[in-house]
Amino acid sequence: MDFSEVVLAEDDRQFQREVRAVLADLVTDEVIRRDRETGENFDEGVHLALGAAGYLARDWKPVAEGGFTALQRRIWELEIGRAHTPWFHWPTTAMVAHSVARFGSAELKDEVLPTTLRGEYRLCLGYTEPEGGSDVATCKTRAVRDGEGWIINGAKMFTSNAQNAHYVFLITNTDPDAAKHKSLTMFLVPLDAPGVEVQSIRTVDGDRTNITYYSDVRVADRYRVGEVNGGWAVLRDALNAEHGTVDRDGEGLQKLATMTEHILLMAEAVDHVAAKVAERDAGGTRRVDDASVSYRLGRGVARMEAALSSPGMYGRVAIAQTMRDVAPDLMDILGTAACLPVGTDGAADDGGAEYIFRLAAPTGVYGGTLEVFRNMIAQQALGLGKPSYASPERTTARR
Amino acid sequence: MDRYELRRQDYSLTDDHADLQSAYRQFLSTHCPIDTVRAAEAVGFDNGLWERLCAMGATTMALPEAAGGDGATLIDLTLVAEELGRALAPVPWIDHVCATRLLARLGPLDADGKAMVTGARLAALDTGPGRAGPRLIGSGAITDHVITRDGDEVVSLRFTTPPTRVDNIGRLPMAWVDPDCADSRTVLGSGADALAGYETALDEWRVLCAAALVGLVEAALTIAVEFAKSRYTLGVPISTLQAISHPLANIAITVQSGRNLARRAAWFLNNEPAERPELPSAAFVFMAEEAPRAATMTTHVQGGLGVSAEAAASAYLVRARGWALAGGDPAHAAVRIAHLVAQREGNA
Repeated sequence: MDFSEVVLAEDDRQFQREVRAVLADLVTDEVIRRDRETGENFDEGVHLALGAAGYLARDWKPVAEGGFTALQRRIWELEIGRAHTPWFHWPTTAMVAHSVARFGSAELKDEVLPTTLRGEYRLCLGYTEPEGGSDVATCKTRAVRDGEGWIINGAKMFTSNAQNAHYVFLITNTDPDAAKHKSLTMFLVPLDAPGVEVQSIRTVDGDRTNITYYSDVRVADRYRVGEVNGGWAVLRDALNAEHGTVDRDGEGLQKLATMTEHILLMAEAVDHVAAKVAERDAGGTRRVDDASVSYRLGRGVARMEAALSSPGMYGRVAIAQTMRDVAPDLMDILGTAACLPVGTDGAADDGGAEYIFRLAAPTGVYGGTLEVFRNMIAQQALGLGKPSYASPERTTARR
Repeated sequence: MDRYELRRQDYSLTDDHADLQSAYRQFLSTHCPIDTVRAAEAVGFDNGLWERLCAMGATTMALPEAAGGDGATLIDLTLVAEELGRALAPVPWIDHVCATRLLARLGPLDADGKAMVTGARLAALDTGPGRAGPRLIGSGAITDHVITRDGDEVVSLRFTTPPTRVDNIGRLPMAWVDPDCADSRTVLGSGADALAGYETALDEWRVLCAAALVGLVEAALTIAVEFAKSRYTLGVPISTLQAISHPLANIAITVQSGRNLARRAAWFLNNEPAERPELPSAAFVFMAEEAPRAATMTTHVQGGLGVSAEAAASAYLVRARGWALAGGDPAHAAVRIAHLVAQREGNA
């Protein structure tokens, strides 16, 4: 058990200084303002600059191939967060690139990987379908053999960053008659292929995502990732990484759970609220001396610190749930001016708590809803068994 | 504070930690089954269990070597507290070690103090808000000494005959203690340092109480999980119904979150006490709120069998409520958190 400050050797200290300086230079107020306006969580200039400087490749590669050490990666993640870098799509791109490296053909790897690691290509996810919800294995998007290639028809929801990406990691159904997990095939589909349409969707936290449509999209077989009807294995591997259910190191240098970035944003908001209620008004009164304020703030801090301590799939739920539970109290503490979003005249904490309240909703949805993770905890940690669902067939049979 | 500071987040236990944990778990599963817990309910204390526990070194470990103890860390103590909670052990170990550690901080131990190190004599800590007049003390009915605050003094109250136990939901050896009725009153220290030492004792109590509640909740969860897996409705185990499995998953999250928070709080209190002074209260506020809620759900999952007075579930339920409340309204700790964080951020 160890929560001490990491003592840095000179080269690591130098690395930390360098990354902090590079990001301070790149992530300007203008970048932040544009990010807020577009909700893209992506800035091409920043992304290309970090790619050109070799950081993306080092983040992606194992140490033996010149990648970050565990300590450098931790420094990197913290500095990215500190600068509020528009960032959430790089981990997605990196994850897809890992799947391509693992399951793709040599030809596909050559086409995609070097350019992606330079920042020039971005990759997005095509899992969820408009009617599919969180069960990515219920897939209606079809891929049908067409000579040497494939023809794809269907639609995908939440293909975030497709407008800035070059490929979509698309799960398709190639055998509608087979059992669910034996019917899937994965592709890396070029987004400039004829028949691909990207339609923008804005979410309540201000983010932009997309729905993408695929109409008679022709792709060569080299864009297939993994075996035909073997897409579940590819997906499983990628989902394990996304869900944060992979093994951790023993040095306390890894993120404790996925989406710790989000609860750190809430931690910043909480600290701002605490600073706010510590201010004296014209009459010399501090709001923290009002017990109705201090009780709610203290309880919120307690719940947040618990979520910040929560590991793996437990943390995944605790983070989103705690944001949802605590953000309303933070807003109440600030009063009516907490209604005002960032940049508005008189916004209580410059819209910090207001943003966390809106962010909390999608945080409990994307990357798998909280119910998916509660199922995982119930099955994997508690051994409660697979959920029983009243299927329409069974109901009919019983009648 | 800098939320992006480069600190390790290493919650792993060493082999020594794991050995300590399994030694106490085994000891308690042998010597403190639910029958022992039930048998002690009328008194709230099992003297035989206490003597065995002390013989194992449970009290001496908690004191620094300079005070004749074995110098365990607070992390070690959270591991023991968690096991005591898991077993619902009817012993006032948390109160006793926090009180004795406070005595050792305030000055050299006298003969009584030395007897406390080995557990031959019992000390209680007044964990209440420090108001005048009679107050309820969690282990007041069985202790020789009650350590409390009085103005800017930390005092030890001696009772030749301990006050009479009152029935209580935590099944504790709880008693009304009136400082004016003490047979003797010894000032252990006064002024800012003594009061700061007392506050540290309260922080230690909060962390260890939180850890005990984690163990308690995990045991209650295990019982409910086993029940749900073997109970059928309409041909399926109720554990496969999400109305059952998701609340149980939420309790597993509470256990993981509360356990790690208590350990992190203990680490900071032990190693860098000025750095995160709000964490002991945070662990306590979180578990004091979640434990009764979780124990209610684990009881509920077992339906009519859970609420029967004989059910283990109901034994966990009442203690989940009563143990935390022995420390007074958790809102006081929440308010303390707010003031500590506001002070830090207001000065930032």
